[in-house]
Amino acid sequence: MKLDPSFIWTAFVQLLGAVPTTLYITVVSVLVGFIIGTAVALIRIYKVPVLYPIAVAYVTFIRGTPMLTHLLLIYFGLPVLIDGLSAYFGWSFRSVNMPMIGFAYISFSITAGAYMSEVVRSGLLAVDRGQIEAAHSVGMTTPQALRRIVFPQALAASLPNLSNSVIGMLHGSTLAFTVSVVDINAKAEIVASTNWKFFEAYVAAALIFWGLTVLIERLTAVIEKRINLYNRGGVV
Amino acid sequence: MIKLSNISKAFGRNQVLNNINLTVTKGEVVVILGPSGSGKTTLLRCVNYLEKPGDGEIAIGDFSVNCKHARKKDIHQLRQKTAMVFQQYNLFRHKTALENVMEGLLVVKKIPKEDAKQRSIALLEKVGLGNKLDAYPSQLSGGQQQRVGIARALALEPEVILFDEPTSALDPELVGEVLAVIRKIAKEGITMIVVTHEMGFARDVANHVVFMDGGVIVEEGTPGEVFNHPREERTKQFLKRITPELNYSI
Ligand SMILES: Nc1ncnc2c1ncn2[C@@H]1O[C@H](COP(=O)(O)OP(=O)(O)OP(=O)(O)O)[C@@H](O)[C@H]1O
Ligand SMILES: [Mg+2]
Repeated sequence: MKLDPSFIWTAFVQLLGAVPTTLYITVVSVLVGFIIGTAVALIRIYKVPVLYPIAVAYVTFIRGTPMLTHLLLIYFGLPVLIDGLSAYFGWSFRSVNMPMIGFAYISFSITAGAYMSEVVRSGLLAVDRGQIEAAHSVGMTTPQALRRIVFPQALAASLPNLSNSVIGMLHGSTLAFTVSVVDINAKAEIVASTNWKFFEAYVAAALIFWGLTVLIERLTAVIEKRINLYNRGGVV
Repeated sequence: MIKLSNISKAFGRNQVLNNINLTVTKGEVVVILGPSGSGKTTLLRCVNYLEKPGDGEIAIGDFSVNCKHARKKDIHQLRQKTAMVFQQYNLFRHKTALENVMEGLLVVKKIPKEDAKQRSIALLEKVGLGNKLDAYPSQLSGGQQQRVGIARALALEPEVILFDEPTSALDPELVGEVLAVIRKIAKEGITMIVVTHEMGFARDVANHVVFMDGGVIVEEGTPGEVFNHPREERTKQFLKRITPELNYSI
């Protein structure tokens, strides 16, 4: 078999059409995961009764099982749940009406939530206790203190880990092909299937993922520079 | 006037404060002395409700909190009437000197931004930091950070400012500048409770000296009484240890 470099370019152009799908999955799972993760981290730090053991079980279960398994569990389990509820409450919604990408959104958000909760938690724990005490001492309520004093510092502290999570979710989003979502990787397979130039197609896919990853890293560096001004003590 | 009645606090089985009663009149500078572990920090933290007292009552003016039945609203109000200057400064690390002072005015007192800014600048000038408005804590010396901490406390116009060993984390050559600022605001009649080991400072700034040991107030009085004529054996021993050049007849 001979390498066909020009097909790399052809495939590359065609794969660009699938970039939005990959980005949607990544962005949705990261954003929802960040919200879930923050809530879970706070529940664990403040040891909220009832919710605490649930949060711990959630994190250990999700981190203890593969992302692909989460997707399959959601894919096969959620319809049963939805149709059961629909029948019980007399809704007209049926699981067959749910777009495939919806399974990826839900499942990957759950995955990201568990990983991000660890990232957020270590960020929050990195903030000195004296900071929230000082906020209380000037009369702020705990929510005000968290929002204005603790979260910004925690975010700065966890930025490198957050960036790694985003990259992890970007790469993980390729699993969506198992539920027939056409992301960059799935598109590569489709593009190659007509002429069997799989290698070229996957080289193109790799280049796109690499480019996106570098972009995320660059973006992180820019944000880090702005956000961490106070740590390095000066305008760099 | 501030009145602490029967304040008690235990950490687990360790009874750290035992029935503390203390009255501070308006404009008074109270200095609390005592050996390490005697409960000085804990007492100040209780007044600011950073530590929840197990029992007792804290009254400031005609506002009072019963520590057994304190509601969130009471605690919030108490904290607005008190301000703390921490041993480790605890400035908001991600905010400039100016923003540190403005923060409470904006968020808690809900003062318009421009107004808060002008007031904060005036306070920073007062503590000698008019040229450091935009510096982050990491760019300031310990003495400068602590002066920002004092400005931050002053900004809230509290009924009382609590100082917990404000100079003990500082290099010796920086102690003077911070004490000078505290002296200056003491002269303006701001009520304060100061925990310190700076005896010279205590002698000439305090109106009222309290000696604590083992979670109780052992002795209190004017600086003249406590420093020159201590009545209690424990006070004499402590003063002798901390100021060896002085001799007390035992
Ligand atoms: N958060 C805490 N948990 C458990 N024990 C504590 C806590 N804070 C203080 N203690 C204990 O309470 C006692 C009094 O401590 P405190 O810090 O009030 O003393 P202090 O008079 O300020 O001492 P120093 O002069 O060393 O600052 C000590 O025995 C200390 O171990
Ligand atoms: Mg102390």
